[in-house]
Amino acid sequence: MGIQILLHLTVMLVLAPLLFGIIGKTKALFAGRWGAPLFQPYYDIIKFFKKGNVYSTTTTWIFQVAPLVYLATILVSSLLIPFGGLKAPVYFWGDFILFIYISGLSRYFIIIGALDTGSSFEGMGASREATFSCLAEIVLALDFIILAILSKQLILSEMVGGTILSSWPLFGPVLLLVGLSYFLVLLVESARIPIDDPTTHLELTMIHEVMFLDHSGWDLACVSYASMMKFFVLGSLFVNILIPFHNLSAILQTVVFGVGMIGLAIIVGIVESCIARLRLNRIPELIIGAFVLALVGLLIILIKGV
Amino acid sequence: MNFFLYSLAFLVFSVFLMLFSARLKKITSGIFLCSLIVGSVLAIISAIKVLVNQTSLDYHAALRMPIGEFYLGLDALSAFFVFTISVLFLMSGIYGYFYLQDCEKKNLNAHYSIYNLCLVFLLILVTAKNAVLFLIAWEMVTVCAYFMIIFYDQQKVVRKAGYLYLIAAHTGTFCLFIMFLLMQHNTVLSGGQAGSMNFDQMLLTPFSLPLAGLIFVLAILGFGVKTGFMPMHIWLPHAHPVAPSHVSAILSGVIIKIGIYGLLRIILIIKDFPQWCAVLLLFIGMISGVGGVLYALGQHEIKKLLAYHSIENIGIITLGLGIGLWGQINQNEMVALLGYAGALLHVFNHAVFKGLLFLSAGSVIKATHTGEMDKLGGLLKYLPWTGHLFLIGAVSICGLPLFNGFISEWLVYRALFENMFQFKINAIVFCSLAIIALSLIGGLAIACFAKAFGAIFLGNSRCLDNKQLKENSLFIAPMIVLGGICLWIGLFPKTMVSFVLRAASVVSAVNLSPIKQSAIISPLITMGFVLALLILTIVILGLLKKISMNFSCTKKAQTWGCGYSLPTSRMQYTASSFAEPILRIFRNILGFTVKGNKPSGYFPKEERISAHVVEVSEEFIFKPIFQGIQFLASKLKIIQVGFVQLYLLYIIAFLLLLLIWKIV
Repeated sequence: MGIQILLHLTVMLVLAPLLFGIIGKTKALFAGRWGAPLFQPYYDIIKFFKKGNVYSTTTTWIFQVAPLVYLATILVSSLLIPFGGLKAPVYFWGDFILFIYISGLSRYFIIIGALDTGSSFEGMGASREATFSCLAEIVLALDFIILAILSKQLILSEMVGGTILSSWPLFGPVLLLVGLSYFLVLLVESARIPIDDPTTHLELTMIHEVMFLDHSGWDLACVSYASMMKFFVLGSLFVNILIPFHNLSAILQTVVFGVGMIGLAIIVGIVESCIARLRLNRIPELIIGAFVLALVGLLIILIKGV
Repeated sequence: MNFFLYSLAFLVFSVFLMLFSARLKKITSGIFLCSLIVGSVLAIISAIKVLVNQTSLDYHAALRMPIGEFYLGLDALSAFFVFTISVLFLMSGIYGYFYLQDCEKKNLNAHYSIYNLCLVFLLILVTAKNAVLFLIAWEMVTVCAYFMIIFYDQQKVVRKAGYLYLIAAHTGTFCLFIMFLLMQHNTVLSGGQAGSMNFDQMLLTPFSLPLAGLIFVLAILGFGVKTGFMPMHIWLPHAHPVAPSHVSAILSGVIIKIGIYGLLRIILIIKDFPQWCAVLLLFIGMISGVGGVLYALGQHEIKKLLAYHSIENIGIITLGLGIGLWGQINQNEMVALLGYAGALLHVFNHAVFKGLLFLSAGSVIKATHTGEMDKLGGLLKYLPWTGHLFLIGAVSICGLPLFNGFISEWLVYRALFENMFQFKINAIVFCSLAIIALSLIGGLAIACFAKAFGAIFLGNSRCLDNKQLKENSLFIAPMIVLGGICLWIGLFPKTMVSFVLRAASVVSAVNLSPIKQSAIISPLITMGFVLALLILTIVILGLLKKISMNFSCTKKAQTWGCGYSLPTSRMQYTASSFAEPILRIFRNILGFTVKGNKPSGYFPKEERISAHVVEVSEEFIFKPIFQGIQFLASKLKIIQVGFVQLYLLYIIAFLLLLLIWKIV
């Protein structure tokens, strides 16, 4: 058990920044540039870890602890998801509820961490984060409802594993709809274009990134590392839903999983290159769109019966 | 049973003692503290004994009552509520004892004795086995609570809120009278005689489904007004903010829950309900839950915000009840157990964390003399205990892992999901709706408590000079106990979950086999392991950070103002602006409006802007109804002219009418 957990965490800790490198490379290629090296995110994180910290006199311990809680919750929630051949090391009946709520815990802490600085920009980002994540959570809940009905399971690794293969021939369209709506949730939760632009220069238009204006050194390293791993965790769930590979051998599964993750990163890169960021007041409409997609999936199940 | 009766006797004795020793203030408050501690500890012991041994106890008193008999019984359901009530009353009472120390001018003795009297009647209420006794206790609790709410009765707004509470509570009681009469009418004694008011007899007689439905609707109306189901909740946001904080805590933690107890008792007695009753409960839960938290987001005053959150939590409890009833109707034992257990555990959890939050709010108000969130800020440094305990309460009420709120929400979620595995279309539809509502409640609650905690305790002070604030350390102790209970249930839920499962098995009449019990509890133990892992990870990361900080430099600076060099604390994001994006999305439901003008021109003048939500059910449902009643009543003035002779004539005319009716 202990070794499994460590292996799981190591895989994620090592591979998560690579996805961001791939996204960056894809975007650069689309823009006709050669771009930063593939391993740039690693260099960034190492650089942040080496830097000293600057703390605002307004802040309390909450500001310092929030990045740690953020990182820790992502690490723990990754234990509930299988990575290809690596089975989920921890599982129990109803663990996906913990998965949703543990991300709520990290969100709560980064929001109050942002409010702790007393900066109006960070307050603004916190307010937007609270609004959009709370809408995205509904879509996530609906996706999980469909997966639970199809798999007759309440264990996250089983809901996206084993039985999903047998549902593909019968409920292919439903799973595609779930995958699509989940993809939009993934974009919202990991703060990518078209919801949020992490590379924008204007604080007024940011959502997620503006909450970390005052973070420096270790805290900034934790936050950016955690964001990369959050993308990895959410992305691996996406790959598990969409690519039915669960009866292959462990090595093949891992290969398929790896290819799927790289594919996901490239898709996100392409989406970011082709679409502009949405206006803030249009974002709820996008999330409601994702909700409707999942709802159509549920209706198909209701009409067809299980 | 002995412990329970001793507790009652002790408390009753103390009530009289306190009234008679009114002159000696020191002695009275000493009596209050001692009697409260002894009385509630005895009640807690008796409740735990029943919950552990799984035996129910009965007590028939020899004393004759006008109608019915003095008949008390402690089964697992009653014991669970006795436990909840005693724990919160004990903690709030100790807090209140210190909180009211500086109110020298008030008649504290009366307040103390009414506090104990309220506890006595609450304990009788949840153990009464006779409908008349139940109603007497119900009314007495209402009256005691009224006197506690109007503690600061020199203010007009307090008197008005108390009056509203009294009217609302009595309107509900009217439905309860009809309900119990119907139940009595249906109950037939063995000798073929008229009905009985004893719950035992009612339990033995079968109720036809339509009658059960009618009784259920009356119960929802009667209990719902006090409990604060969404369209009938109007008294809550008025009464909670004006009461002293420890009274708000027990109002929100205990007194609104007795309606839930009443509903559970009715479900236990009648057993068979039509399917739509469960659907009705689920819908009430969804409306109260989502509506409560949305209105809470629109509030600017801390205690009013907490009052709306009580409605939200009642919504979660009702969702649990609804899904439990659904399972009971469809003979799905697991769902019934999970649903009721989730609802009951949330009753206890809500009592604990909402008590904690109200007590912390009281501590803030005591120190700053205001509850307006947009005036406060940065209190965490100056009121550290209060701030951290408020944080514990806030994380718990959002239902986040590590604390108790998550355990009960997990049980409710699990009941909803398991109910979908039967693959009936209506089950999938209603359960999906409920799950979506529950997750929306969760997300909105996070936003709301990030707003409340952030605005009050983080950042810089917006108006006040924080440096002069002092924390009263005396009333922190009961808050620490409540915070500890939150953490204890969150990490080690086994004991409390097994208690609520026993109560749930009594309500649903499902035999609690060890297999079922372990199927419910063993995932929670694994979850405890995951949560321990989470804490371990945070600690390891913290240590790593501490070590690495030794090698790099740490500087202090001002918060970065994005290039603006003279930021003031009034430029911080306010609680109203934090909630604005969400309220704007739901503006049509809430009647959310922003008043005021934006500054314009090169040299803008001073402008004001303010955001409000409209209480829809108060403005558009109850106000028109009561205005209509007032209008009709004013028309009746025609027959009231002030001549005694005329009134005598009315009486004679009425008697004649009666005579004619009797003859014909």
